[in-house]
Amino acid sequence: MSDNIFAEIYNRILSLFGQNVKDESKNTAVNRLRLVLMQDRTNLTPEIMNRMRSELIGVLSKYVELDKEALDLNIGQEGEQMALMLSIPVIRAKDEAEIEQAIKEEEEAKKAKENSENKEESEENTEKETESSEDSEEEVSSEEESADSEPSEDKSEDDSNISDDESEETEEKEIQEAPETKDEPKLEPETETKKTEAKSEKTKKEEK
Amino acid sequence: MTGRVIVITSGKGGVGKTTTNANIGTALARAGKKVVMVDTDLGLRNLDLLLGLENRIVYTIVDVVEERCKLKQALVKDKKNPNLCLLAAAQTRDKTAVTEEQLKNICDELKEQFDFVLVDCPAGIEQGFQNAVAGATEAIVVTTPEMSAVRDADRIIGLLEAKEEIKSYKLLINRYRPNMAASKDMMSKDDVVEILSAELLGIIPEDTGIITSTNKGEPIVNDDDSLAGRAYRNVAQRIIGEDVPLIDFEEEAKLSTKIKKFFSKFLNKGKEN
Repeated sequence: MSDNIFAEIYNRILSLFGQNVKDESKNTAVNRLRLVLMQDRTNLTPEIMNRMRSELIGVLSKYVELDKEALDLNIGQEGEQMALMLSIPVIRAKDEAEIEQAIKEEEEAKKAKENSENKEESEENTEKETESSEDSEEEVSSEEESADSEPSEDKSEDDSNISDDESEETEEKEIQEAPETKDEPKLEPETETKKTEAKSEKTKKEEK
Repeated sequence: MTGRVIVITSGKGGVGKTTTNANIGTALARAGKKVVMVDTDLGLRNLDLLLGLENRIVYTIVDVVEERCKLKQALVKDKKNPNLCLLAAAQTRDKTAVTEEQLKNICDELKEQFDFVLVDCPAGIEQGFQNAVAGATEAIVVTTPEMSAVRDADRIIGLLEAKEEIKSYKLLINRYRPNMAASKDMMSKDDVVEILSAELLGIIPEDTGIITSTNKGEPIVNDDDSLAGRAYRNVAQRIIGEDVPLIDFEEEAKLSTKIKKFFSKFLNKGKEN
């Protein structure tokens, strides 16, 4: 106990002269604990975080061209609350036409999906109805399947053709939503693309 | 009589569950309550050592469960306080020797005869923990101001909250070092309470007297001069329902307070003579 008293007196005298003797390690402990508890308490496994990340990329790339490798998603703390920290390095902003195109495509994809789902449903219904006769059922389903798959195959072929011409970057992008939007800059005059490139460099610098 | 069944748990080992159990139990008994302590740490029993009862144990909880004796026969009375009893764990068996159901039945039977049933929980979150918690309706979560202990306490709190039978749980911060907390070299009680967002039952300062009292098999609450002993007595008072303020350790550490105390003691002795 006497040791403690002397240590305290020593520290007090030092603090009188305005000297901070130690770096305060307890703050480190508190911050580290908060982070680790956040991970413990939530059920956000790395797998789920990855899924969330890729879905976010899908949504965001409709509006901006982003550096997918550098996109950073983490759980953190904002005051009392848990927060998701998302840092998105933007390569360049897309112009209105591109965004509209992307949205249109998404809607179309949705419709196509809905249609196919409806078809599937109706298929199921017909299946139920025609459960007794297996032969006819098979015929129906196979026909409809082929009908469904044809247009989508066409699309993907188109995509691959175009992306072959393009830079490697777009090839890496395997997001379902709006892959075609990246074709647009090709059609634009070279000067414009250069401008946007310069812009992206600026934004990168700003981020740094 | 229907007593309260309180489980004392922590998740992490070595934070002072058993010490807390022995001291709170003794303090409650000193306050006139009938107390039984149940050691559920099968295979690693230690509560008997802290109470100095290791040589008096004839039957254990496993003997009760396996019907080699009646529950009453297995209860060991404390040396000093007739209000205090111990139901010891078996040293030669493991956690599978008793089931949740059996422990719940024992607790239910004991709370008919005692005001307090204090269940000493083993470390960990496995079957031993599940067993210990089975019969309890209240919990004391023991932690220290260290990261690993706080993290484990958080886990335990999560598990306790999932248990319907546990109506309330409170936090006991053990081995507290007021000096280190003041110099911000260690988490303060406020930090721990805030991180765990749990109700605080008490703070026990780090005290070398704990070691010497264990050596003697005599809980430190019986030492009227010890600060940790006083903190444990306060905790017992709070469990009973009295509103006792937390000890201001910084004030206690001041030389002036110590001198005052010394003289008041001196004067009191003089008056008695």
